[in-house]
Amino acid sequence: MNDRKAVETAPLHLPVKSVSTKSSLKKFAVRHKDALIATAILSPMILWWLVLSGFPTLFGFFLGFFEWVGIADSPKFIWFDNYIRFFHDPLYYEALWRSVWMGGLVTSITLIAGFGAALLMNMPLFGKGIYRSIWYIPAVTSTVATTQIFNLLLDTNNGVINNFLKSIGKEPIVWQYSVFWGVFWIVVYSVWKGVGGAALIWLAGLQSVDVSLYEAAEIDGAGRWGKLWNVTLPGLKPIATYIVITSLIGAIQIYEQVLFMTNGGPYGKTEVLVFRIYRDAFWDFNMGMAGASSLIMAVVVFIGTVFYYRWSTNSDRSTTIKIKGGPKA
Amino acid sequence: MKEALSKKVAFQLKPGNLLAHLVLLGVGLVLLYPLVFMILAGFFTKTEFTSSIIGLIPIAKAPTLYNFTVLFHGTADSSLQRYFVNSGYRTIYNTFWALLTSLLAGYVFARLRFKWKDQLFLILLGTQMIPGTIALIPTYLEFARWPFAGGNDIFTGGKGILDTWWVYFIGGPSLNIMGAFLVKQSIEKIPYELDEAAKVDGAGTIRIIFQILLPLQLPIMAFIAITTALATWNDFATPFFYTSSDKLQTLPAAITRLSSAAASPGAIPNWPLIITLGLGMTIPALLIFFFFQKYIVQGLANTGIKG
Repeated sequence: MNDRKAVETAPLHLPVKSVSTKSSLKKFAVRHKDALIATAILSPMILWWLVLSGFPTLFGFFLGFFEWVGIADSPKFIWFDNYIRFFHDPLYYEALWRSVWMGGLVTSITLIAGFGAALLMNMPLFGKGIYRSIWYIPAVTSTVATTQIFNLLLDTNNGVINNFLKSIGKEPIVWQYSVFWGVFWIVVYSVWKGVGGAALIWLAGLQSVDVSLYEAAEIDGAGRWGKLWNVTLPGLKPIATYIVITSLIGAIQIYEQVLFMTNGGPYGKTEVLVFRIYRDAFWDFNMGMAGASSLIMAVVVFIGTVFYYRWSTNSDRSTTIKIKGGPKA
Repeated sequence: MKEALSKKVAFQLKPGNLLAHLVLLGVGLVLLYPLVFMILAGFFTKTEFTSSIIGLIPIAKAPTLYNFTVLFHGTADSSLQRYFVNSGYRTIYNTFWALLTSLLAGYVFARLRFKWKDQLFLILLGTQMIPGTIALIPTYLEFARWPFAGGNDIFTGGKGILDTWWVYFIGGPSLNIMGAFLVKQSIEKIPYELDEAAKVDGAGTIRIIFQILLPLQLPIMAFIAITTALATWNDFATPFFYTSSDKLQTLPAAITRLSSAAASPGAIPNWPLIITLGLGMTIPALLIFFFFQKYIVQGLANTGIKG
C-alpha cells in the first residue's frame, strides 16, 4: 500500500487544486479521475469476462435447481432435489470423496517429491539447469497427447509394460479391469506431469530464504539437518501455503486424465466428481445434476482453501502475509 | 550471491553431490521416458507397430519418416496442416489478448484508487476456484442462442455462432485474471514516484502504462505469454465442444477425435499417427519452453510469495 501513501503526501498533486474552480462536470472528472479511467479500462474486459465466464457459471449453478435432462426438454424447477440426490446417490458422493482423496494423494506425492528434487537442485551441482528443464518438460506437454502415450504403454496385449512383465516371466496385467491400477496410473500420470512445476516453485522458495540466517545458524552450531529444520522450513512457510492451496485446487479438479485414461472405468470406480460433471453434461445431458455437482465442488474447494489458509496462518503469525486484494510480497 | 558461491565449487565431485546427480538424472530420465518412447514410436509403420512386440526401447526394423512427413503434408482423409495452422492462429490470438488484458487490468488494480477495488479484485480471484466444467454447457447454450447469428431470429432458429470462427474470436480469450494478479503484484513493487515523474513530464495514462511500466514488466509478461500460449496450444475443450467442421479443428481436438474413435471396440487405432500428432503438438511446446525457460523460472518465482 506504499503507493497510496505516496499519492497522499506527494507534493506533485498541485494541478488538481488549480483546476478545481472550473465547471462542475470538470470537477467531477478530476475528482473521480481514477475511477473513470478504471471504468474505461475495466468495463469492456469485465463485460467480456461476464459473457464468457461469469454468466455461464451463474447459469450453471442456477440449473442445479432444475430437473433438465436433454437439451430438447424444458427445465422443471425442483428446489433442492438435485442436492438431496447428490448426498444419497453413491455415484455422486463417492465421486466427491474420490476427488478429495485422490486430489490429496496426488498433491502430497507431487509436493513431497518436488521438495526433495528442489533440495537436490539447490545444491551446487554442475548442470543443474539441465535437470530443472528435464523435470519440467512433462508440464508443457498436452494432456491429450501424453495420456495416449500412457495408454499405449499400458495396452493389454502389446503394451510395453506388459511385454516387459512377460519378458521377466510374470503374468501380464489387464490394467483396465482393475480399480487399483486405474487409480494408480491416474495418480502416476498426474504426479509425472506436476512434479517438475512443484520442484521449480519450491526451488524459488529455497533461494529466497535469507542467506544470513544460514550463517547465523552455522555460528550457533547447526548441522545440515538442523539448518533444514530450523531455517529452511520456517522460511518456506508462505510459499508452502501458496503451493499447497493451488496444487490442491488443481488436483481436486483433475478430470482430463480420467477421461482419456480410464474413462471412469471399471464400473465407474475411478470416476472423480469433475469427470462425473462432464459425463452428466455431455453424455447424459443431465444439466440439473451437473449444475448441482459443480456448485458442491466449488463449495468444497472454497471451504478447503479457507480452512487451510486459516490453519497455516494461525500456526505462525510472524511469517504470514496479508491476502487483502491478493497476497503481497 | 548464492549463484556465485555455487560456481566456485561446481566441479567438485563429493559423494553427496554424486548421489544428487544420480537421483536427479535417473528420475529425470524416467520422466522423459514417455516422450522418448513417443519419438521412437513415430518411426514405425502402422503394420509393424501392431504386429511386432514393442519393447521398452522400441526400434523400428524398417524405420519410416512417413508419420513425420504427414505432419507437414497432411493426408487425404485428414488435413493435419490445417489443424496445425488453426492451433497456431488460436495461440497467437489468445496470447495477444491475455497480455493486453492482464497488463491493463494489473495497472488498474495496482495504481488506481476507486471504490470497491479490493472487493472486485477478490471476487475475480475467487472465481478462479470454481471448476470450469460447469460453464461448458451454459456456454454451449449461449453460443447456440447468440442473438442474430447463424440464422437465429433473436435467440432461436439457427445454430448461433457454434461451429464458426466466432467461437475462437469471442470464446477464446477473456480477461486473464491470474495474469492481472501477477502484473498487479509486479507493478506494486515499482515506486509510484516513477509514475508521478512521468505525469509531470506530460505523459498520460496510456503512455505511463506502455512506455514507463511495460518495459519493467517484460519478465512477467513473458511468463504470461508462455503459460497462455501453452494452455491454448494444448486446449482440446474449446474446439472439441463448440465446433464440428473439419476446417475449424485444431491438433488436440483432432487427437481427441482419433483416440475416441480408437476407444470403440474392434477398431485398431492408428497408434503411429496418433503418436505423430502428439509429437506435432509436443515439439512446438518444447521449443517455446526451451527458448523462454528463463522466464518460466522467474515467473514461477514471482507467483510464489516470498517470505
